[in-house]
Amino acid sequence: MTRNHAIRSAAILLALAAGCGKPAAPAAPATDVRAAHAATLPTNADDGAWGAAAEMKAPLVLQDMVDPRKMEVGIAEVRVKALTDGKRIAFRMEWDDPTADDLRVPARFSDACAVQLPATASPDSPAPQMGEPGRPVTITFWTASTQAILDGRPLDLKTLYPNSKIDHYPAEAAALDKDPAGREQMEKMYSPAHALGNTESTKPAKAVQDLVSEGPGTLKPAAATESEGRGRRTPKGWQVVITRALPAGLAPGARSLVAFAVWNGASDDTGARKMRTIWIPLAMPGGAAK
Amino acid sequence: MARVYNWQLGRDMSYWYPEARPKAQFGAVFDVNKCIACQTCTLACKTTWTSGKGQEYMLWNNVETKPYGYYPLGWDVKLLDMLGAQDWKNGKYDGRTIFESAPAGQRVLGWRPGQNDYAYPNVGEDDCTGSVDKGAHMTLPHMNWFFYLARICNHCTYPACLAACPRGSIYKRPEDGIVLVDQGRCRGYQECVKACPYKKVFFNPMTGTSEKCIACYPKQEKGMTPQCFANCIGKIRMCGRISRPEDARPDNPLDFLVHVKKVALPLFPQFGLEPNVYYVPPLQAPAVFLQQIFGPGVEEALKTYLNASKDPDLMGLLTLFGCTEQIIPRFRREKDEMVGLDEKGSELIRVPIQEPAYIRQALDAARGVLSTNIP
Repeated sequence: MTRNHAIRSAAILLALAAGCGKPAAPAAPATDVRAAHAATLPTNADDGAWGAAAEMKAPLVLQDMVDPRKMEVGIAEVRVKALTDGKRIAFRMEWDDPTADDLRVPARFSDACAVQLPATASPDSPAPQMGEPGRPVTITFWTASTQAILDGRPLDLKTLYPNSKIDHYPAEAAALDKDPAGREQMEKMYSPAHALGNTESTKPAKAVQDLVSEGPGTLKPAAATESEGRGRRTPKGWQVVITRALPAGLAPGARSLVAFAVWNGASDDTGARKMRTIWIPLAMPGGAAK
Repeated sequence: MARVYNWQLGRDMSYWYPEARPKAQFGAVFDVNKCIACQTCTLACKTTWTSGKGQEYMLWNNVETKPYGYYPLGWDVKLLDMLGAQDWKNGKYDGRTIFESAPAGQRVLGWRPGQNDYAYPNVGEDDCTGSVDKGAHMTLPHMNWFFYLARICNHCTYPACLAACPRGSIYKRPEDGIVLVDQGRCRGYQECVKACPYKKVFFNPMTGTSEKCIACYPKQEKGMTPQCFANCIGKIRMCGRISRPEDARPDNPLDFLVHVKKVALPLFPQFGLEPNVYYVPPLQAPAVFLQQIFGPGVEEALKTYLNASKDPDLMGLLTLFGCTEQIIPRFRREKDEMVGLDEKGSELIRVPIQEPAYIRQALDAARGVLSTNIP
């Protein structure tokens, strides 16, 4: 036994002896997100694998740095757990929200959340507010409205407005029944966003979008969305699992940073109007965050 | 915020971006007195641009009856109420614009219409301020009145939609000042919907983007007027390019009407956007109501319009409205005819200022019959 080891063991024994007969002191709240190892990353929020991960209650602050700002405090905290298989990382985000807002229609906004990581692992982190020029952040964005579509809600007017009456859409003219190319062209004619490939306007394949940002107002879709995500409604709010890539170059046991954001549709949260965290240390298995 | 000059207010004002005027500015004059609210303009626009999914409720062009008509509901009165006092002193605006009144954390004072606000496009249609008693119908202004207000995007010099977009997805074309939403970049935050005081940006729930009037720019690029102009039954609309007052050209139809004759006025200039659609105000409505809508030049404009028959240039130019689908950048009067010219001075259209009157005799002498059915 080395001298240091002996001292440490003695200290532990002393501590145990001192604690006999008394309730255990409550653990200090976590101030970092500690990713636990998992051979297989869970896709569901209630997977037993989450039991291995410590929960961090991340306080949310107003996005009041750039216009348009959120000026009234909304959702106060998001509870986060993280698991990693060494290649990818899964976050489980939970927050309280009494109203489920999963529609994106005029004057109504969807509940949503996002995870932000630096694009590359570096001790010199980019600005927490959406990155900065030349130092991008990668964001994975989940929306309740997209989730609802993937869960089976048709993306059509009749579903959004059951009492609506539609006379005719040019793209649904009978003359185009045998002309799928012509029909697609007609659809695009009245949907320029779709014609331009705007990811907002194409039917979603996933409940999440991968985005890249180099500062406020610069958000753009990543070349492809490789992340996965799934959210579900709980009696109190939302539970969302987002599985995504680690920052480039992040070694096992190394540290990085992570930030979260939550939008409450009932409060007209959209875009920059959101509650967000500051950068939070992210500790990978085998390492500890400072 | 930058300081910019707004000639409609007669003063500098605050705006999110520095002043950057386009090389030319699309503009229009609508003669309210000629509008019959047939909505042909509305349908021309609807069938051309907004027949797709998610565009059902969009009216990039609409015609509403004032004082009780709005689309969306209460679009103007809600903001007027929020803006507070809007006094003018000697032609200069003494109140605050929607940029100068922006609440903390926002770039523009605005409000976002609820879904129900879009549910009544015909509210107030043809509603008069009261019933017209016998004998009262020939007084001007009428004791009871209404008028039709045709509206499109104003393609403002200082667009509130553009200022409010946090992503820079809205831009003003340098060649003609037309304001467009980049459909590839928009992420549907609806900040523009909230900011536009005229409520001429609409969110499309199917594409997830906001859309608006594009002033039929593909047609304008070919020298043609937008669809709502070309299809106007009442020929109330003149389309062209509008200059700043100090650069006004008397042979430019819009400059002549707006700057020389001052017979056409902007819509709610006090909002501060320097809108580029101008209106010949209606004769029958009270000046105090019209001044709130069109600013302090109303009485002078109405006086000029009432005397148009004594001004052959003005009269002639008013007859050029809607006479051709081509944009008329210049005009010239030749005795009793008004000639629309292109930029090089070549003739596009010629119209008589006074239509010749033909009196058909009731008795068709050749056939020996009465040719009218009311002897």
